[in-house]
Amino acid sequence: MSAYLELQGIRKQFGNTNVLNHVDLQIREGELVTLLGPSGCGKSTLLRCIAGLTEIDGGQILLEQKDIVNLAPRNREIGMVFQSYALFPNLTVAENIQYGMKMRGASKGERRNRSEELLALIDLEDKRDAYPQHLSGGQQQRVALARSLAVQPKVLLLDEPLSALDAKIRKNLRTEIRDIQKKFNMTTIFVTHDQEEALILSDRVCLMNKGSIVQQGTPEELYTTPRTEFVARFMGSYNVLTKPEVLRLFERVDSTAESFAIRPESFILLNEEGRNEALYADKRIVDGNVHAVSILGNIIRYEIDAAGVRLTIDVLNDGRSHRIGDRGAVSLALDDSQLLHLEKEGA
Amino acid sequence: METRVKKTGLTHKLLMFVLMIYLLIPLLATFLYAFAKEWQTTVLPERWTVGWFSEMFQDIRFLDALWTSLYLCSISVALSLVIMLPAVFIITVYLPKWESFMKGIVVLPYAVPGVVAAVGLIRAYSSGPIEIAGTAYILIGAYFIVILPYMYQGIRNSLLTVSAVELLGSAELLGATRIKAFVSVILPNIWPGVMTSTLLSFSVLFGEFVLTNMLVGGHIQTIQVYLYQRVGESGHLASAIAISYFIFILVLSMILMKLGKRMNRGIEG
Repeated sequence: MSAYLELQGIRKQFGNTNVLNHVDLQIREGELVTLLGPSGCGKSTLLRCIAGLTEIDGGQILLEQKDIVNLAPRNREIGMVFQSYALFPNLTVAENIQYGMKMRGASKGERRNRSEELLALIDLEDKRDAYPQHLSGGQQQRVALARSLAVQPKVLLLDEPLSALDAKIRKNLRTEIRDIQKKFNMTTIFVTHDQEEALILSDRVCLMNKGSIVQQGTPEELYTTPRTEFVARFMGSYNVLTKPEVLRLFERVDSTAESFAIRPESFILLNEEGRNEALYADKRIVDGNVHAVSILGNIIRYEIDAAGVRLTIDVLNDGRSHRIGDRGAVSLALDDSQLLHLEKEGA
Repeated sequence: METRVKKTGLTHKLLMFVLMIYLLIPLLATFLYAFAKEWQTTVLPERWTVGWFSEMFQDIRFLDALWTSLYLCSISVALSLVIMLPAVFIITVYLPKWESFMKGIVVLPYAVPGVVAAVGLIRAYSSGPIEIAGTAYILIGAYFIVILPYMYQGIRNSLLTVSAVELLGSAELLGATRIKAFVSVILPNIWPGVMTSTLLSFSVLFGEFVLTNMLVGGHIQTIQVYLYQRVGESGHLASAIAISYFIFILVLSMILMKLGKRMNRGIEG
């Protein structure tokens, strides 16, 4: 399989800071790849480099095997949606959508047909003559999406398109973006700092830190098998443990790793009545004390001190388990097969 | 809830009213004085006249001075617009590193008092390769510097308000050349802001006296220089000139504002 869009050793410095450190990335046609990472990790810069809005210091960007590094943004056939939408305030919704086609010399009729199609797609036909400032944030973002799609780019870049919107609209628009992306089989790179958004939307997630991609894989791979402490901490509320802590909990561990991770939902909380030793024969039972309980809707999150280690433990909120929390003393069933051995950062 | 909103509105209106009175009373007094024939021992003038105005308009020097001010200021502002608009655009969008340096540079005209600037300019340009002291050229050059802060800040703020960098990025990715993007999406959106700074600059220059008088006072009479010369002759006449000058600026402001609005609407519609 050859990549549709391929980044090879992309480097970028701002002053003396390495913003991008030899980034390599291959993207298949029609794939939706998320660049996920904390702010300042270089994900937005990478996106701007692909678009040509920021020049790179080294590396190659191949689109359908052709190097596009030396092309101006307008010749790259790449569309981009900005976090702030960047709609043209002096143009109506329809004129915004038609802008790219106009610049590329499409006829008036062609432009109108295409913009009507897209207005129907984003369900804003009644707003075609409105100015952007009279639209809500969600509507503006849909117009920005339609405007990018109007020129049929080969790759669509989305730079934190949902982060300025409130939670409910964000969820709806998230689904809408994914549907549209699938409908057009649009090769898409989506930048976000929200791991939940990345897990839900993507075919593949690339987690970035300090200018490098530290791990990439399907959402499931990234969530279930984080390779380093950074990934484990970023992807979920993993318990990240040092070797001495692991030894206190499990007594022995066969690994040269120095840090370990265990998912909050992989513990079993035992209450006195329901304690069936036979059922947990292959597991270690450890006593602990509940430090704090918080209800996150369908799950209950416990902070439990066990063997001198503070653990975060998630339990399904089924009405039974809550009683444990009221008492203080609990027992935990640990399964060392759930323990992930982490690599050193940068390894 | 509703009544409270109304109440605040009333307080605001009252405050505005007091402020307006404070600002307008001197103007009103000048206005009355310009039409007064005798005004010694009474609250309001005893007798009225339009004689001061007719005297003023019959004075060919007044019309000359008005015209001189108008064209010198227009040329200076136009020159500034032509140079500053692309310059500030390029700095803001492509050379943001220069921003802090430029910010320092453009406030320098504030830091140097008019008298100091005038003496320095006269010394520098009264001999040597560029001998333009006492001519309109040195005045236009000085005017350019005087309005630099207004033009720079005004254009820059407009660019930042409309997020010019992102608008430009979007337009370029959609296939526009840089120049086309500038003309089609940047210029229309910053135009109201640019118009305002232009108008402000024009008013500042029109009222400028110290620099003008020192640089070219003996050779070129602007409206301010003329006004200064007539103040000593008759307070009534000076009031008449001040009022005419005020009305002129008022009309000019209204025309420019209307123009700005219409341009804006023209682009939108």
